[in-house]
Amino acid sequence: MTDHLDALEAQSIYIFREAYRKFENLAMLYSIGKDSTTMIHLARKAFFGRIPFPLVHIDTNYKYPEMIAYRDRMAKEWDANLIVGQNREALAAGMGPDKGRLVCCEKLKTDGLSRIIEKHDFHGLFLGIRRDEEGSRAKERVFSPRDKNFEWAYKDQPPELWDQFNTNFAPGTHVRVHPILHWTELNIWEYIEREKIEICSLYFAKDGKRFRSLGCMPCTRPIESNAATVPEIIDELRTIKAPERAGRAQDQENAYAMQKLRAKGYM
Amino acid sequence: METNETGTSIGLRIVIVGHVDHGKSTLIGRLFYDTGSIPEVRYREIEATCKAQGRDFEFAYLMDALEEERDQNITIDTASTFFKTAKRPYVIIDAPGHKQFLKNMITGAAGADAAILLVDGAEGVREQTRRHAYVLSLLGIRQVIVAVNKLDSVGYDRATFHAVENDIRAFLHAVGIVPSFVIPISAREGENMAARLGHTPWYAGPTVLEALDTFDDAGVDDELPLRLPVQDVYMWDGRRIYAGRIESGSVRPGDPVIFQPSGKRTRIATVEKWGRPDLVTAGSGECVGVTTVDELFVERGEVIALADRLPVGAREIRASVFWLAENPLAAGKTYTLKLATAEVQATVVAIEERLDASTLEVVERNAASLHPAEVGTVLLSLKSDVAADRFEDNARLGRFVLEDGYHIGGGGIVRSLSDEAGIQGRRIDLERAFFDGDEGNLVDLSREGSDVEFDVSALFLDALSRGNRVLFRLRDASQVAPVARLAWSHSLGFEFARSGDRANIVLYAGKPPVTNPGGNGGGEISI
Repeated sequence: MTDHLDALEAQSIYIFREAYRKFENLAMLYSIGKDSTTMIHLARKAFFGRIPFPLVHIDTNYKYPEMIAYRDRMAKEWDANLIVGQNREALAAGMGPDKGRLVCCEKLKTDGLSRIIEKHDFHGLFLGIRRDEEGSRAKERVFSPRDKNFEWAYKDQPPELWDQFNTNFAPGTHVRVHPILHWTELNIWEYIEREKIEICSLYFAKDGKRFRSLGCMPCTRPIESNAATVPEIIDELRTIKAPERAGRAQDQENAYAMQKLRAKGYM
Repeated sequence: METNETGTSIGLRIVIVGHVDHGKSTLIGRLFYDTGSIPEVRYREIEATCKAQGRDFEFAYLMDALEEERDQNITIDTASTFFKTAKRPYVIIDAPGHKQFLKNMITGAAGADAAILLVDGAEGVREQTRRHAYVLSLLGIRQVIVAVNKLDSVGYDRATFHAVENDIRAFLHAVGIVPSFVIPISAREGENMAARLGHTPWYAGPTVLEALDTFDDAGVDDELPLRLPVQDVYMWDGRRIYAGRIESGSVRPGDPVIFQPSGKRTRIATVEKWGRPDLVTAGSGECVGVTTVDELFVERGEVIALADRLPVGAREIRASVFWLAENPLAAGKTYTLKLATAEVQATVVAIEERLDASTLEVVERNAASLHPAEVGTVLLSLKSDVAADRFEDNARLGRFVLEDGYHIGGGGIVRSLSDEAGIQGRRIDLERAFFDGDEGNLVDLSREGSDVEFDVSALFLDALSRGNRVLFRLRDASQVAPVARLAWSHSLGFEFARSGDRANIVLYAGKPPVTNPGGNGGGEISI
């Protein structure tokens, strides 16, 4: 072991291998953002270059065109099995953020995801959430069970210690596995720099603005920034005080928006 | 502590434990505030909330990210948060104080490098203070700061602080923890947190932040023998790759290895990572793949070790077990034991001792069950062999969890273990050692643990009283205590000597032999 990125990487590889060994039918949720792109790189490290499970992208139809173009190009390059899910019924019925941001997230993302899981009978899903992102994610376990109704019983989570995860579950349980839970935003960027991981161009400043967190067009705002390269972003993050998801409107709807969304199955 | 060229690091992981309402969330909020780690937006939010409620700024709100916590005014789960000193980043694992949330505390604390044990200076040491301290010792956390909090409420009274300090030191001593620092603080006012505000002129030690900065990363150990548990076997590209994390030691191509417990022998052919199929070596903490010279059929759960330093293929384990699940641990019942990557059915042969974790008293011998939050000495019989070490020899292979149904129900650390022949004795018959020893008058403890006990016979004491002396060869200084207890209980004398990394004790009856005090000619014998 030479540095902290090696230690973080090793922990993620361990989690990937543990889940791959324990679950028959796995998939990875791919959001196109820097975190899930880093997560894919870590999966390839764990499995000697392979991605031995499908990637799932839930397309709300409100994503930036740059994101979709990048997604399709990278999936080819990785030789990945990409599954794109969309809640067409809800979109046909006119669902959008004008109906209320939280309702929109729930319909287009959470419901979209649960449909895909049901259709493909996935027992486990890799998610690139991190504890430092926001309060309710800080309380996640690495292996986090969801019941038949997709709900997270965050008050009654089984203990996890010494890298012994809960890997045996009642039939019908769906498990979320979080391989980069222990990384911080800064770690992710340091690792992107070290490993030369290609990420979506929207993260880099253009005309004094860049995206720090990627989401849907109507609900995501860029930050003021001149950081146009990975090292410049790393420098910026070392001094920034605003939270990472400040540009994500659904989080700010009310004091417990994220917790409420996540208890129902949001990422 | 791992550090890279730019001076950043993964951070030291600290857990904050203590009795409910002794001020954990406030302490964490204060650490964040004093280190400038609170996003401004968040700080203003909390300020506004407190103002609206007509109260002073409440640091505890920072950690209380979940709705229920704010309503009930308690912390309900383990959360990780992050702050930085000039020296390095920290990850804080907040652990709750309510009894029913012990499992969250253990989930948090199991991954910690160091701990802050909080005690309310006015209330003093309470039940959960002791319980949590004991759990720290069971989890093997040795870097501990005791912060005696809320001293502003007792006018920063020195005598109050010292009384609490004495209490907690005594308890920690009993569980084998020597606190690195005991610090008088007020998290609310900020005394001795990041700065000295001048309320404790009688205290000359470090602040909490200074104390934290002295700690080491407790992480990985290259010095211990190789332990590479097989996590999975990949059959890719016509090759058989054993994937796993090196828990201790290091591995190189060409190393002669044995898979335990099956005992299969071979040599390492390659040590690999993605894009690096020919590593020269890999050390503890690294996730690698290895291939072997001989085609073997080995499963997950086996441990790759060097031939000369093997883990025991254990069939029976005696362990200190802490239980967390609602359903009690029951004698006679079978659970799934998970140790490193091995999983095996384990039957509780006996709950030999049930302890009160807050007093350390044996409440019951041969108990029928262990209830949630209880600790005991448990004898487990395994359905098949598992490669394991004693916790004190190698923590990574000396700890396990027990699954009850679908959930982890508790954890344990291996005190002693045996192959099919039965548990190795921790009791040493001194009469036999004295008369039968090959070298005569020698009791060799160098292959024993620190919890040895002695059986003393009249014949043995009689031999000593006739002027015979017995040499105890120790493994390390942790064995001084049992020999000293032996001397104390039989009014014997002893002399301690160290040569190189070996320590010896000579036990005798009657007056000490004449000793040359050496060097400065003082003529006094100091002990």
